[in-house]
Amino acid sequence: MPALSNDQADFARAIVLGLDLSPQAHAVCPKYRVATAMAVYHNNYRGNLHDTLASAYPVTEQLVGKDFFRVLTKQFIEQYPSRSGNLHHYGAEMADFIADFEPAQSLVYLSDVAALEWACHRAYFAEDEATLDVSGLSKVPAENYADLVIHTHPACHMVRSIYPIAAIWNAHQPGANSDFHIDLDSGSSNALVSRKENTVMVTELTEAGATWLQSIRSGAPLGEATSGVLERYPDFNLNTALLNLLEQGVLADFTLENMP
Amino acid sequence: MARPVTHALPCTGGIGLRAPHYRQVLDRLPRLGWVEVHSENFFGGGAPLSTLLRVREHYPVSLHGVGMGLASTTPLDKAHLSALHRLCDAVKPAAISEHLSWNSAAGMVINDLLPFPYTQEALSHVATRIEQVQEELGRQLLVENLSSYLSFAHSEMTEGAFLAELTQRTGCGILFDVENLYVNACNLGVDAKAFIKAIPAEAVKEYHLAGYSVRDGCLVDTHDHPVCPEVWEMYEFALQHIGPRPTLIEWDSDIPPLPVLMGEAAKAQQRLEICYACAE
Repeated sequence: MPALSNDQADFARAIVLGLDLSPQAHAVCPKYRVATAMAVYHNNYRGNLHDTLASAYPVTEQLVGKDFFRVLTKQFIEQYPSRSGNLHHYGAEMADFIADFEPAQSLVYLSDVAALEWACHRAYFAEDEATLDVSGLSKVPAENYADLVIHTHPACHMVRSIYPIAAIWNAHQPGANSDFHIDLDSGSSNALVSRKENTVMVTELTEAGATWLQSIRSGAPLGEATSGVLERYPDFNLNTALLNLLEQGVLADFTLENMP
Repeated sequence: MARPVTHALPCTGGIGLRAPHYRQVLDRLPRLGWVEVHSENFFGGGAPLSTLLRVREHYPVSLHGVGMGLASTTPLDKAHLSALHRLCDAVKPAAISEHLSWNSAAGMVINDLLPFPYTQEALSHVATRIEQVQEELGRQLLVENLSSYLSFAHSEMTEGAFLAELTQRTGCGILFDVENLYVNACNLGVDAKAFIKAIPAEAVKEYHLAGYSVRDGCLVDTHDHPVCPEVWEMYEFALQHIGPRPTLIEWDSDIPPLPVLMGEAAKAQQRLEICYACAE
């Protein structure tokens, strides 16, 4: 497929970089210049990606304002071409990009907010999966509890930050109180993203709860995860943590370690 | 003329269902012949899929893909195709369509519908890809003619002949977008009547109608206006030569209130009815 393949590669680069097509493309426009057609493709390309980023990062856009967000997305789009025919995959690198984006350095929390927004975006489109069946859990003999490996729902994510990102996110949702004032000294945030009845939510976990969930998510069995947390946080209450996570639909199925 | 029964979409006017109207449609259940959605917006689970499954309880649904890149020369995205397959299994759509365009090259994806020269080389390539998709999905794919802002001097055939040959080689159907043809006629001097006569009528399973914008003398397929009188006229010509088929109003930007869309669909419906009346 050399001819078609080479033509398309040249065409793609011209669109992305906003260049003219080379004469070898043999492009023809009887009514206007080829450059006009290429400008339409270039603007479509940039416009689609900008709109996609604006829809995945609405809080980031609110925090920096529409004009600044446009400057930011322009540079992001130049740095990161799309890699998927599904536009909902576009924009994964935004948190890292913002961390290095010089004009946004004064908004120290912005990168972490963007990471949280990407987690929410993924949670929104995540596959469906049944949540933990408590009656099934009750059939597990007590002596095997320590070996339980609990899996989290595909829509579950955790984003930890030294800034109050969960509070910032919730304050910028439709219908939230607009008088919100960001107190950056209000402490760190263990933002838990979950999906309940198909609504994506962001809540806070305690340090102990977040440490436990992180351990569970990395595949640690219940006994190991819990004893690890209890060493550092003697007040950790497993029952309360489990009930809280069950309530939020974070826990999916479970398996018993060392058993088929 | 008997109403076609070979296709599961009703031969009526339908609308492109977009997010601003989900709630109203599900709460009020307005009389819509059928609806079409963009497949990629429903990949995965959660609210999007759940909404579509509820819509599906009340209306025939057509899945219209914008991201497969049938004419790309990069390998077919298997994950994308599997996601579409899972969606089809869940929704059991009345029709599935993609565009006669490419979107991926040189390690990048251009999330647009891009033109290519209609050569023999491209024909065998696209035919192979359509076969791959149809095999994976286990059903016929409808392929939509493209709106284009430029053409290629080294094309060896017209888009109409290219599509006709694709239906022969792969058994795919045609989604005939009348507005795309109008855009090509204005931008590129494509002979619209010759196109309509070139594509096999029995392969055409669906029409699209939409509005466009103009930038620097170039008609751009923006789907942000009502259907213009010239496109209605071209649609009427197509109805005479090809026959009545399910007809969709597409509106993707500056989306108007639902009644406006329903009004446009009713205009298509009226023309379909006239077409039946004259033929019977």
